[in-house]
Amino acid sequence: MDPLEVEFLAEKETVKIIPNFSLDKIYLIGGDLGPFNPGLPVDVPVWLALNLKQRQKCRIVPPEWMDVDKLEETRDLERKEDTFTPAPSPYYMELTKLLLNHASDNIPKADEIRTLVKDIWDTRIAKLRLSADSFISQQEAHAQLDNLTLMEINTIRTFLLDSLNCMYKLRSNLQPASSKGQYADF
Amino acid sequence: MFCEKVIELIRELHRMSDGQLPAFNEDGLRQVLQEMEALYEQNQSDVQEAKSEARTELIPSIKLRHCCLLRNQRCVIAYLYDRLLRIRALRWECGSVLPANVRFHMCAEELQWFSQYKKSLASFMRSLGGGEGLDITQDIKPPKSLYIEVRCLKDHGEFEIDDGTVILLKKNSQHFLPRWKCEQLIRQGVLEHVVS
Amino acid sequence: METQSYFPVPPGVAVEENFLSLDDILLTHERLPVRTECAFPRLGFLDKSTDTQDISEGTKMELPLWLSKALYERKRRVLSVELPKVYREGWRTVFNADPNVVDLHKMGPYYYSLGSQLLHFDSPENPDIAQTLLQTFIGRFRRTMDSSQNAYNEDTSALVQRLDSLEKVLFRSGQSGLNDFQSWEKGRAAQLTASTLVLNYRKRKLAEVQP
Repeated sequence: MDPLEVEFLAEKETVKIIPNFSLDKIYLIGGDLGPFNPGLPVDVPVWLALNLKQRQKCRIVPPEWMDVDKLEETRDLERKEDTFTPAPSPYYMELTKLLLNHASDNIPKADEIRTLVKDIWDTRIAKLRLSADSFISQQEAHAQLDNLTLMEINTIRTFLLDSLNCMYKLRSNLQPASSKGQYADF
Repeated sequence: MFCEKVIELIRELHRMSDGQLPAFNEDGLRQVLQEMEALYEQNQSDVQEAKSEARTELIPSIKLRHCCLLRNQRCVIAYLYDRLLRIRALRWECGSVLPANVRFHMCAEELQWFSQYKKSLASFMRSLGGGEGLDITQDIKPPKSLYIEVRCLKDHGEFEIDDGTVILLKKNSQHFLPRWKCEQLIRQGVLEHVVS
Repeated sequence: METQSYFPVPPGVAVEENFLSLDDILLTHERLPVRTECAFPRLGFLDKSTDTQDISEGTKMELPLWLSKALYERKRRVLSVELPKVYREGWRTVFNADPNVVDLHKMGPYYYSLGSQLLHFDSPENPDIAQTLLQTFIGRFRRTMDSSQNAYNEDTSALVQRLDSLEKVLFRSGQSGLNDFQSWEKGRAAQLTASTLVLNYRKRKLAEVQP
């Protein structure tokens, strides 16, 4: 999967905006949007929020977890625990990038948030590699990937699958030769 | 050793791991088929001899030649099949009209296969979207906007956009165009996508 | 970020080969030292060391893996296969001591795959070979992973040089995951780019034009 496709999925998450225009409810296949009234907060998908924001039609209210105090807490917990703690949002990396790139003026302490999220990401990726290594060295047959987000899994997916295929190949060698039989490969 | 010639064909493809199509090696293929013919004929006569004169000691050699025949067969099939995979990829990367230097590397049967693949893909795409048709070679990456900024990398002549206006794609000129009209030209290296 | 539309046939995963895989065809072209256990009449020209008409019983020669595999039978001995030296006990001790010091590219480049294929031929050493292959892979895994996940935008040829072909595949898939993510993070992923295939064709065309 391409990271852009993961980002595309993240754009379906909802975010609160405060529009500065009025429009009746619109009915779409993907769900109804609006109605929009100036100054009244309304939930919309991220793709729409960004589009309106670019045209200066709204102000974006940052999601609750996108807050310096909360993220510091998450970062510290993530560093303390050996296992993966629940991510701030299943799309925390994508949403941070999208919202900070297009609406940083609506998000207090944007730079600090950027750094914190990057710290959390780095800690989690380091853990992911560590567990991939112990997974291979202990020759485990299955792994539980609790609390990982799609983007995190995505960066290591092909590598992990290819490694598991190699392991499978080399482990099946340990079976006694009699079970292999004759092969008609040329 | 037998089956050395066919490995050269396989190596030729393996070296170009990016998916480029090397020239169809007609000569190499003919030599492989000649070797196969010789193997087959030698085996025919040895089998006759083994049967009529009860010479069982010939059997190991017959078996060896037979294995070589099968090996050659496998490699030739793999050669032709891998070429088809590359030719199919060309439809997605270069579009439905292939540049002359690429066509030049294909044999007649491959050209025919390409045009049939093109046709099946086109009729499949026409059948999508409730009869409206849908170009599935477009929007390989999720689009962010309907229009994009592009710069011309070479003179491409006149170009008509949706509303009927004709623009001139002149080297180094910059345009704001519907994304779906440009994607193919960007892939072909005529236009460059400008991201702010 | 690369959008590629050419996907070659992958090599077989376990002991089976993939019939159409170019990788598997080249792997099975590797030569093995064998000893004939019967005569092969009228094929003497295949053995370069003599000019007799037949290959006589007890001839030592090299045969490609595919042919050795096809001729090999447990019941009726047609030929016996000797272990290439990297799989013999002496080298196995070296591998078991520190798998990270060996240059598997020089030793192979199909160290794991060829080793796995050798298990088709009966040998009392087979269990030890299988064990060494697995332990070597596990012992080198961390290094393969770390180098593929930490080397962004660097020349990776030095890192890749000492890897076996199987490890190289791993290295590349690790790198592409990393590169895709990094270019997304830097905002470059959304840019539409020319097909690398088209660009490579153009380069080649230029090279052909120049004398």
